[in-house]
Amino acid sequence: MKAVVKNGIAVFSPQGFLDGNSSNAFMSIEDIEAATNLKADMILVSLKKVIFFNRNGLDIFIKLFFKIRKKNHAAVGFCDYDAKKYEAIKRFFHDELNFSLFKTLDIAYLFSSSFKNQNKSVLIYSSDKSQRSAIAIELHDGGHNPVIAQSEQEFNEKKEKKDAYDYIIDSTFLGQMGQKVATRVTGNAIIYTISSFLDIEISDKFNIEYHNNSLNVGFRLFIFDAYKVISMNVHALNFFSKLASSAAEYNATICFVGMKFDKTPEIFRETMEDAGILFYAQMDDILENKELLKELGASSASNVKNKRVLNKETVMELPKFIDATVVTLEMMTNAKAIKEAANVHNLIIEDKKGKIASSIGYYGDIDGMVILVFPSGIAKKACELLIGENTDDIELILDTLAELVNIVGGKIKTLLADELINVNITLPRTYQDVDSLLEVVENRKGVQVDLSFNGDKFLFFLTR
Amino acid sequence: MANMITKDKIDSFIEKIPPAPKILSETVALLNIGELTKAAKIAEGDLALKSYLKNIVNKPIYGFRNEVSDISQIFGILGVSLSQQTVYNYMITLLSPKKWVLFKLNAKSFHELQANLSKKWETILKHLNIDDKNIYAAISLLPASVIVTEALFAEKIDNVNLLRTTKALDFNTILIRLCGVSLFGICEKIAKKWDMDESIAQIIQASSGVKPSRDEKINNLGKWMHLLLFYELSKPEFIEAGLNDFVDFQIEYISDIYDEFASLMGVE
Repeated sequence: MKAVVKNGIAVFSPQGFLDGNSSNAFMSIEDIEAATNLKADMILVSLKKVIFFNRNGLDIFIKLFFKIRKKNHAAVGFCDYDAKKYEAIKRFFHDELNFSLFKTLDIAYLFSSSFKNQNKSVLIYSSDKSQRSAIAIELHDGGHNPVIAQSEQEFNEKKEKKDAYDYIIDSTFLGQMGQKVATRVTGNAIIYTISSFLDIEISDKFNIEYHNNSLNVGFRLFIFDAYKVISMNVHALNFFSKLASSAAEYNATICFVGMKFDKTPEIFRETMEDAGILFYAQMDDILENKELLKELGASSASNVKNKRVLNKETVMELPKFIDATVVTLEMMTNAKAIKEAANVHNLIIEDKKGKIASSIGYYGDIDGMVILVFPSGIAKKACELLIGENTDDIELILDTLAELVNIVGGKIKTLLADELINVNITLPRTYQDVDSLLEVVENRKGVQVDLSFNGDKFLFFLTR
Repeated sequence: MANMITKDKIDSFIEKIPPAPKILSETVALLNIGELTKAAKIAEGDLALKSYLKNIVNKPIYGFRNEVSDISQIFGILGVSLSQQTVYNYMITLLSPKKWVLFKLNAKSFHELQANLSKKWETILKHLNIDDKNIYAAISLLPASVIVTEALFAEKIDNVNLLRTTKALDFNTILIRLCGVSLFGICEKIAKKWDMDESIAQIIQASSGVKPSRDEKINNLGKWMHLLLFYELSKPEFIEAGLNDFVDFQIEYISDIYDEFASLMGVE
């Protein structure tokens, strides 16, 4: 069984009866391998379509999880259950709950470090006091506004005011969390939260793909929230120095906020400053200072200094990229796509109105970014298979469009692999309007291909 | 063309289903009127059927001590309803591919699935005090949904895998969204082509879990069949074959019969 990956969470969805015999069969050696290699923050098993499970059935998953966890530090656990199932799991495991439980997948997304939808107000209740605080701290670190109900009665009262909260969390348990570096986006800055002792493990815990993707799509200011860092060793120092020099290529800035040097050698600070890292005492020193923000490049995403040109390798593989796009769209729509024109120039979008876009980056043996621009009606059509109903919910359409380019990215990866070119794909990104896309790719040359299917036009753009 | 699946492909698949071979339809007709001996005589003429019947009834799940080899003996032991059901099971196997690609199945494991479903369906019908040949036979059609999926999607295995790493869509949903036809609708067409009783097709439709029947009795049977299917598809060999999530399990649909099912099947 393969996992579905979204917002940094890989989910397995077994159906029916989970016992000691069946659980083993759900994940083959290849599935475990694949799950280990996923750049997921969390690996969960959804119990939504499981009608019966026993302790043995869950145990096998947990053992598999820990093998995976050892390698990639993902948080692991179960999600999508009702109160009855939650009680059963707690009864089976008593005090040995060393994995996480999320009542729904949507709740789990709140704790994923690649979840971009921040600043949600969240009502929390757990009968366990330390859990209540742990959940609140995690959410706060992720840039949300948690509200803790101190008693069940208070929870039930507050719960009634549904509009007051974006999410309501109960029947949820956090096992070992905080393994990955949490990420949040504020305006045009990306904030990473790091804590305690920083050593060689930082390179595993830090989602470098996400970071590279952010650089590539135009983020220029990266802030490490280091209030809770106790100390760092030389391996972590090397990691941050390297990160700073690669950021310099993009003319991006890396800042540390709240870092104390009482337990970390002062010389580390100098080394980091030499690498171009800036230090600030308070977060507000940066975020409240418009001048400084502008100077650090966070006021606009468009100041791409390094205009990288399309190289021969990329152009050679162009047919593969177009194929991947065409094949995916044909698959999703049952319609035939026709290539109309192909030119090398800056991205030109004639009629900007009513268009949405989505992009996905790839890196490895070759690197670059594929952008698809659709009239929103066509995007809707292309997403019909994934959504299954006619909708005007733009959030849902953008979300699904991201899934669509993710499939395109997957196809690119396999087509290139046939030629022995290895690439990985980044998380997809969507743009609600063309202007926000242009901010990112302005002045970048690329190959633009106009495609049409069933007479409807859409645009493919490949750039670096 | 990179299309996943088209209406044309489905039509051509249905077109290519051969009519029930003469020997089989005669055997079924005779079984239908309770003529076991005459039916056995006719059935002897189809050697493949004979070997299938032998193979099935000698599986451990049937629990016979000595090997049974004579068709009239087999029909005699099984009785009218189960004989007819088994002949239908055989007819369904005629549609199965020589080599499975999408699902990791082979003739042996597919027969195993058929035998398990049939035997447990018998237990369920006895529990529900139902003694109707057609309802016994209905279970035969259920594995046809697996064959149809294999036939339609085998060539698109890479696309399917790619799609399913991004969104957990079952084959029935993909088919309905792309072509407006459901897997179980195709099974119904097979049933019609083979002149199976109307009620069989209706139970199969209800057993999809997404198309409840307005007839309460048929709907109830659909629930039992839906749950039985997932009980079987939770067996390691069928999970490994990739069958566990080929269609969506509708937990709410079967919730009111679950406890009864669990105690009947001895689920602890």
